[in-house]
Amino acid sequence: MPVETYSVGLPVEIGQIDRELKRLWAEGEGAMTRASHINLAVYSEEPGSLARNTEILSQITENHACRAIVIAADPSAERDRVEAWISAHCHISGTGAKRVCSEQISFLLEGASVKLLPSIVFSQLDSDLPLYLWWQSDFAEPMDPQLWAWIDRLIYDSQRWRDFDGQMRLVEKAQREAKQRIVLCDLNWTRLVHFRLAFAQFFDHPASHHHFDEIESGSVVFGHGYRSTALLFVGWLAAQLGWEISQALAPETIDLKNREGKTLRIDLQEREGSAITWFMAHSGALEFCVKMAGCGDLLEVCRGARGENHTHQLLPSGENDPVKLVTEELMRGGPHQVYVNAIEKVRSLL
Amino acid sequence: MSKDAAISQSNPLRIGLSTRAVPQPCALVIFGATGDLAHRKLIPALYNLAAAGELPPAVTVTGFARRPKKDDGFRDELAETTKQFSRQPVRDEIWKTFAQSLFYHQSEFDDQEGYQSVAKRLEQVDKERGTRGNRLFYFAAAPEQFEPILKNLKAAGLNKPKEGSWARVIIEKPFGRDLASARELNRVVRDAFSEDQTYRIDHFLGKETAQNILVLRFANAIFEPIWNARYIDHVQITAAETLGVEARGGYYETAGALRDMVQNHMLQLLCLVAMEPPTDLGADSIRDEKVKVVRSLRRYAPQQVGKYVVRGQYTAGAVGGKPVVGYREEEKVNPNSETETYVALRLLVDNWRWSDVPIYVRVGKRLPKSATEISVHFKRAPMVLFNRDSTSLDQNVLVIRIQPDEGISLRMMAKIPGTSLRIEPVKMDFHYGTSFGKASPEAYERLLLDAMSGDPTLFARRDEVEEAWAFVDPIEHAWSQKENAPPLCFYPAGSWGPEEADELLACDGRTWRRL
Repeated sequence: MPVETYSVGLPVEIGQIDRELKRLWAEGEGAMTRASHINLAVYSEEPGSLARNTEILSQITENHACRAIVIAADPSAERDRVEAWISAHCHISGTGAKRVCSEQISFLLEGASVKLLPSIVFSQLDSDLPLYLWWQSDFAEPMDPQLWAWIDRLIYDSQRWRDFDGQMRLVEKAQREAKQRIVLCDLNWTRLVHFRLAFAQFFDHPASHHHFDEIESGSVVFGHGYRSTALLFVGWLAAQLGWEISQALAPETIDLKNREGKTLRIDLQEREGSAITWFMAHSGALEFCVKMAGCGDLLEVCRGARGENHTHQLLPSGENDPVKLVTEELMRGGPHQVYVNAIEKVRSLL
Repeated sequence: MSKDAAISQSNPLRIGLSTRAVPQPCALVIFGATGDLAHRKLIPALYNLAAAGELPPAVTVTGFARRPKKDDGFRDELAETTKQFSRQPVRDEIWKTFAQSLFYHQSEFDDQEGYQSVAKRLEQVDKERGTRGNRLFYFAAAPEQFEPILKNLKAAGLNKPKEGSWARVIIEKPFGRDLASARELNRVVRDAFSEDQTYRIDHFLGKETAQNILVLRFANAIFEPIWNARYIDHVQITAAETLGVEARGGYYETAGALRDMVQNHMLQLLCLVAMEPPTDLGADSIRDEKVKVVRSLRRYAPQQVGKYVVRGQYTAGAVGGKPVVGYREEEKVNPNSETETYVALRLLVDNWRWSDVPIYVRVGKRLPKSATEISVHFKRAPMVLFNRDSTSLDQNVLVIRIQPDEGISLRMMAKIPGTSLRIEPVKMDFHYGTSFGKASPEAYERLLLDAMSGDPTLFARRDEVEEAWAFVDPIEHAWSQKENAPPLCFYPAGSWGPEEADELLACDGRTWRRL
């Protein structure tokens, strides 16, 4: 039983995967438990992705036992080739009582073999468990309806997209193929979970709800390459608070109208730092602020009169790291209608 | 859903983010804040909630106790113990912020002045920290202090919330020591706080797997149709501990296993297993069904107690390979003590669903392993195909493991591979720790959050507590008779209890499940 988890493992023939997996368990040393509660397929066209994704999955499986299917594809290769490997990620369980292992089946698909993707994924599924597909590349036509019809959750990161509208259209097409069954899990949206929680908690008491219509301005500070993340945040506020975009004056300034028709302005500022580092909203004499704390993995939230010392609290910020983002996403479950609404508000700006 | 949860969920920014009740800011006052419960459980639970971002920033904690202490000294002590007992490592930067919301108020519990001054202090906290007049009083003091605390809270007007605010009280076990004292305590509580302000805590109900019993039963279509006397042979509920009474000898002498475990935790678990489906998940819908179960428990006549209830006490022995003393040799224990450290009961729930299905309950200290489990034993397959030889098939058993290693397993019969027909039991096993890597929150985290959010579902209602005492009292009375009292049986530490407990099941042709 290999415990060195970053290797893709033992090479196997495609037709022998089941047999080799059984042998892997039979020959393993010591007591261990094979566990799985989802099928997690990861697809990438980036060179070196097999090793990188194996490392990522070794960490994800610490919290989410799964059947991992890692696919590295190179559609532009001249030669048609399919190779496969099997391995296992083993961790000591939370209670420290046993070794819990997740299987990984890895594939390298080259040339026209990339079209075999659906048949490869389908033939390796752990039966009766949901299928989550983490798509790390750009979506491209033609979208294979066979594949999408089987997927329960589609994980992707819109922060990487250069053509948001084009990519989103393909995602929506996949959803249509799946008769809207797929739950869309955008890691760019997941990046915002803690920021959204931190800002939302200011308004848990109904006595604070009047501020929703009194917010006059806000500013979002985002890191290089994370403009789409900042726009999703603005889209979320707009969708949930009934704001409409009236005009985008410049890439960094958006004018909106609230439910009462009053204008409010949100500034977007790009600076060194992580995805979103700061959001401040002004409502009358009050300001509501969420910012990254100096330690880098906590959020500092404060509320008070402008320019005064505020009581503040530290909250978890989450981490802008693929392992943490996917782990967060797998923990959450549920549909993402709020995400779809947020996208609709800012789609033209993305 | 609680009222507070409904309020917080009216926040449109919460939609899609969090489905649990989000508490309003409040000032929590812990009576007995220098004691073990506050140091080992309550403050670590609050810290973990704060670290997870589940507490609003304005929550403050005021420790109310007798020992002279300043805020800083209190914070330093709590920093040490929280590092020791928190389920997650304590981060200095989070602790620093959290500690700013910790205060200490020194007073005797019967000193009215102390309550007047804490009331002023809380008003100040409202102004400075934004706790909005919301008050949560936690009784972590000795039970004999409950009454003076309640009277003084009332006299200081702290039981009455200001308009738009709330005041609640959490009361730790033991909630009385018999029906009469529980009723009296309820009367005293009611004199100061209404029932909807009162939260009687039973930390077993805050455990993830206890809550999962309802999900297992009512979210899976396969179990409920067979969850009745037609298919179930019997049920066993076991709460075994390797520990003895440790430093609690003084308390244990006044309680015993029946009061300490059966009247509250065991009967609560039994209710979750035996209750009818509630009409909805509202607190009272669930508690209405639970109380019906306790009311349906067949009461023992005095002469039946010896037959259906076994009480035991551990003698010297060895646990985990280490020699240990007997109960009567423990600190602060009477050398001639008659206090039980083990109880086994044969219970019957007199309703249609459970007619003639015995529910065996056992709890004990100094047993070979620590485990709390519920096992549902189904009736054997009919004697048609496979039961023709001298040995009959084993029963299907569904096991719900409450602690440790939370999970569910199902024992079923399978054919041993080979040309002959041989059948052996096999086990399908679900472990929380294997399927979900994330650690479950501590029971106190969940329960504190629920009380702050105004959700009493996982707290015992007045009638539940009184009905449970009404069931337990005849047993205690029978044991306390001078003549013809059922005997106290002895078992060596490290064994599975007295032989008489085995006989309790042997009379019915059954045995305790091997844990």
